[in-house]
Amino acid sequence: MFEWIRFIAGALVLILGLATFALEVFGSYRFDFVLNRMHAAAMGDTLGIGISLVGLMLFSGWNFTSLKMFLIILFLWFASPVASHLIARLEVTTDEDLEQYCERKE
Amino acid sequence: MRNPMLQNACHTLLVAALIFLAVMTLFCFLRAVKGPRVADRIVAVNMIGTMVMVIIAILAILLGEGYLVDICLIYAMISFLSVVVLTKVYMGVYREKQEEAKKEAKKDDV
Amino acid sequence: MKRKDNAFYRWLFGEKDTLQGRVEMRPQAEYETKETDLEEILKDHQQVQEKVFDLKDNKALRFFDRMYRIAGVLFCLALMLILLVNVSWLPPRGAASNPVNNEVSARYIENGLQETGAVNIVTGMILDYRAFDTFGESNVLFIATVTVLILMRLDREKKAPAKKGVPVYQKPEDEMTVAQAQAHDRIYEPKNDVILQVAAGFLVPVIIIFGIYVILNGHLSPGGGFSGGAIIGAGLILYLNAFGFEKTERFFTEKTYKWVSFGALTFYCLAKSYSFYTGANHLESGIGLGTPGAILSSGLILPLNICVGLVVACTMYAFYALFRKGGF
Repeated sequence: MFEWIRFIAGALVLILGLATFALEVFGSYRFDFVLNRMHAAAMGDTLGIGISLVGLMLFSGWNFTSLKMFLIILFLWFASPVASHLIARLEVTTDEDLEQYCERKE
Repeated sequence: MRNPMLQNACHTLLVAALIFLAVMTLFCFLRAVKGPRVADRIVAVNMIGTMVMVIIAILAILLGEGYLVDICLIYAMISFLSVVVLTKVYMGVYREKQEEAKKEAKKDDV
Repeated sequence: MKRKDNAFYRWLFGEKDTLQGRVEMRPQAEYETKETDLEEILKDHQQVQEKVFDLKDNKALRFFDRMYRIAGVLFCLALMLILLVNVSWLPPRGAASNPVNNEVSARYIENGLQETGAVNIVTGMILDYRAFDTFGESNVLFIATVTVLILMRLDREKKAPAKKGVPVYQKPEDEMTVAQAQAHDRIYEPKNDVILQVAAGFLVPVIIIFGIYVILNGHLSPGGGFSGGAIIGAGLILYLNAFGFEKTERFFTEKTYKWVSFGALTFYCLAKSYSFYTGANHLESGIGLGTPGAILSSGLILPLNICVGLVVACTMYAFYALFRKGGF
């Protein structure tokens, strides 16, 4: 009985994570501008992988694999904002007609 | 998980998740090909990296091989490093081109 | 003393060129084809086409020309077919009756643990049974770096046109000093990104510690010198990207690279030669295998793993620095 509950909980969380990924891809097609698309893409990097890996941790149980998965979540929560910052900086420095899309403060 | 029915359900769910993620990766790849700007492509490649990480983690559970998660961790590092290096190199190339264009304009004025 | 005034001695020590002043020396003029010559050549070509081969009325030649193309296509298709048929004849993947499942792999699987002491059979294979193969691979990395260094030097020479009387190997005048290069670097690339620097300060030690873990556990779990070295190299590249060459040059220069690579490769060669020598002559090597599963076990595999890891990490970083700046 306990196994079934664990499976259902894990499956629900995993499906929630996969839905986040679907939203991410949908968002990257829905928006018109790179800096808007990045909002959707960064959501998958942190929230999507976080929820999916929590689901997989429920599957695998209390062991070393789960610890490594937790490390991956921690790493991505740390690294993904930095990557997003760098991409945004790249876009701001290289786009010549940025004023069409957003205000720019010097 | 000794219950055969439970094992079956688990297997089916994980394989379905794998197929779903593969389709999503294909869409991300399309975005990378289509993306009008360089930043678009880098974002799309980053998205592909995240999905591949989840795929590897699911495979680790499906095959029961815990060490596959190590590869996932390394993949996260390399994907982050690739974003850092790509943005730096592309920004350097762009500014260098701008500088050269300015120099040429000055030469033309003289 | 008097003999040194001799023309022969002066020539011998490079003070005098005996040919100078006696022979008229002029650099060879560049070869140019005149336009009239060109026209003549074209005319000749046309005449050959018309009169000798008679292209308009020569049916055999035209037939050959057409058949040649068809035969080319057919040849390619046949080659593809042959290769595909051959691939279909290959034995199925993973079948027990495959020719790869012979006594060699059976021996590796059955006796690997007792003979090498490594729990990870792959490491036992590449660093014990086939250690000289791995030695060659590590040397290839070193040779590749040296080749890139040579190519970079040639490129720099080409950029600066050699003036008259100046030997080619002299440093060109427009070569930048280190400080200038750093300033130049900072113009084009944002060096002082505070967010990236803080993140790198947290991440780089973790990445390098993870790489060291992978190297040291090479004989116990998947991984080993090559993968661990690649992880450490990635950490160094991240550090370089965040803080610039100014900081990395404090601990990693060309000299460091030279000595680390040289030391690791030499130690590898000597250690493995010793173990092969004692093994071939049935001598006692004095290196115990220890208990399988412990961190200090399986004889020479752990130090060899460290050597390979050092070489790979240095090569990764050196390649990035070489292509990025043209030096360390």
